[in-house]
Amino acid sequence: MSDAMDLTNNQNAHRIEWRLYREMLTTRVFEEALVRWEHEGKHSAQTFPSKGQEAIAIGVCLALENGDDVLPSFRTRGAMIGMGIGLEEQLREFLHTPSAAGDSRDAPHHASWPERGVMPGSTMIGGHLAMAAGVALANQCDRANNVSVAFFGDGTLGSGDLHETMHIAGAWNLPLILVCENNGWEMATPWPKVRKQRSLIPYATPFGLATRQVDGNDALDVYHAARWARATALTGQPVFLDCLTFRVGLYSSHFGEVRSGIENDLAEAAKRDPIKRLGEWLIDNGLATAAALEQLQRDEEQRVEAAFNFVRGEG
Amino acid sequence: MSTMNYRDAVGNALQDSMREDARLLVIGQNLAAHALKPLADAYGLDRVRDSAISESAMVGMAVGAAMKGMKAVVMIAYADIASVCHMAIVQSAAKLHYLTNGRLRCPIIIRLPIARFRGHGPEGNEVGASWFYNVPDLNIAMPGSASEAYWTFRDALSRPTPTLFFEDRSIHLRSGAVAQTNPGGKAQVTRSGDKLTIIAAGRAAALAEDAADELAAQGQSDAIEVVSLGFIKPLDGDTVLKAASKTGRVLIVQDEPEWAGYAPYVRCLLDRLPAGKLALAPRLLVGADQYLPYWDERPFVPSLESVVAAAKDLLKQ
Repeated sequence: MSDAMDLTNNQNAHRIEWRLYREMLTTRVFEEALVRWEHEGKHSAQTFPSKGQEAIAIGVCLALENGDDVLPSFRTRGAMIGMGIGLEEQLREFLHTPSAAGDSRDAPHHASWPERGVMPGSTMIGGHLAMAAGVALANQCDRANNVSVAFFGDGTLGSGDLHETMHIAGAWNLPLILVCENNGWEMATPWPKVRKQRSLIPYATPFGLATRQVDGNDALDVYHAARWARATALTGQPVFLDCLTFRVGLYSSHFGEVRSGIENDLAEAAKRDPIKRLGEWLIDNGLATAAALEQLQRDEEQRVEAAFNFVRGEG
Repeated sequence: MSTMNYRDAVGNALQDSMREDARLLVIGQNLAAHALKPLADAYGLDRVRDSAISESAMVGMAVGAAMKGMKAVVMIAYADIASVCHMAIVQSAAKLHYLTNGRLRCPIIIRLPIARFRGHGPEGNEVGASWFYNVPDLNIAMPGSASEAYWTFRDALSRPTPTLFFEDRSIHLRSGAVAQTNPGGKAQVTRSGDKLTIIAAGRAAALAEDAADELAAQGQSDAIEVVSLGFIKPLDGDTVLKAASKTGRVLIVQDEPEWAGYAPYVRCLLDRLPAGKLALAPRLLVGADQYLPYWDERPFVPSLESVVAAAKDLLKQ
């Protein structure tokens, strides 16, 4: 393990900027490995890569407190990482080893660790938002000082459950945070073909939700927005965070959709890559060196491979 | 053992459950000011929740509350509306326990009052239990008496998986003694006889009991054995097979058409009996395979007259 990953030797490791960086990097390296392993025939689960969107899951999860719960979307692997679920634990669900907590019953992108705040988002698109509202309802009844968070893509605007959930959560003042990973694409269909406005805030405001537009490619913006959202939700106003981003990868490792004419978007997304941006921020602020970040990347790649080999040995 | 009507039995089951479990919620419409005012007054608006007309989210929220260890009763205005929240029932509620490898329970009741014979027309007079029959882990209660109404409700909230509670408004005022102990999902032999076994649930079970009484009044006393299923899924096959073996003649009565539901299931179940155990092939008396018109629903579903006629026919053979 390099100094960059050694928390005892890296005096900055506890800083939120460093934690955001590390966990985004873990998410990316892990997802890239998941796709590669699938193509190598080592497992058969599809991955919905969050490449380019990692700041949203990580920024939100690192802003939460003990007892808070998240319901990931199928593209929010980072929420599992951000909530502290180890790579080995996640991989057990892919490989159905004897100690897989969920017995590999659910698809790995819906795997859950309820006692650790990762609830299953297992249902149809939009349905998990109502489930998250139910978690918030329980917290409200129990007078718990906790929030629930649901992640979803902007395509969920088409789901009636989104509107039903916002309607009731607003009326009941539920401590709920809806986090939209607004990447502007519904698989191969760009947003102007299926709705009138890029932002979903105009749809959330009338239901009584507090809203904030967030740069979903800026982990610090996401983190601070989520801290605000948590405080706001606990006052009795549910929150809608509209996190604008761009999905760099495919819709899923099982689909090979073509999005023609996105060359400029990809170039722009590369410039705005959340890991690259935060890495530059760390360097500019004297918290890291380019060499340390490169070493960290190599360490993560090795750690991910080691986790896979370890878990495969268990099965 | 106290006697009460079916509607009060459901109400008492809810009230007793609310009193005993401070983490039980009710979600529905027009509850606090109207349908459940006494409960709202007693237990507060936290636990008696007036919701928007959003049945899908109502069920989804009940599931979410269950994730945190709560229990919930979702009050759907009438059974047809189960089609609105089918996704939440099948995908969110029924699968939770399985998908989490038993780490999460989903002890929720979705109340689905059957509203036929009230002039609601085909959008408001369906049963719909058979729509859900092949969903694993989904309990389906269809009480036919006050005792079953009380105990299937209480039992459902102790189960790790959700329950659809099909209560039939057409028998709301039917009175009966409520058993003192929970039969725990067992079917009940509500009439004892040795010539013909009628197996049914809900309103059809009430019809079967009335038919047994009618035949007794006509001189055929102790002829009809009636099995009231209570839970139609899972159902108590042992009691069914024992009662069928006792008489050797079986009539199965169901309000819904024969394509699905407990009637064809029980018919298949009877094949497990040794050859020769039944004197006659089991007969089904079921609803017609059509919608029930506003102007008169009764010709298309089993009636006291049709159950009596079918029973007499089987007794003759």
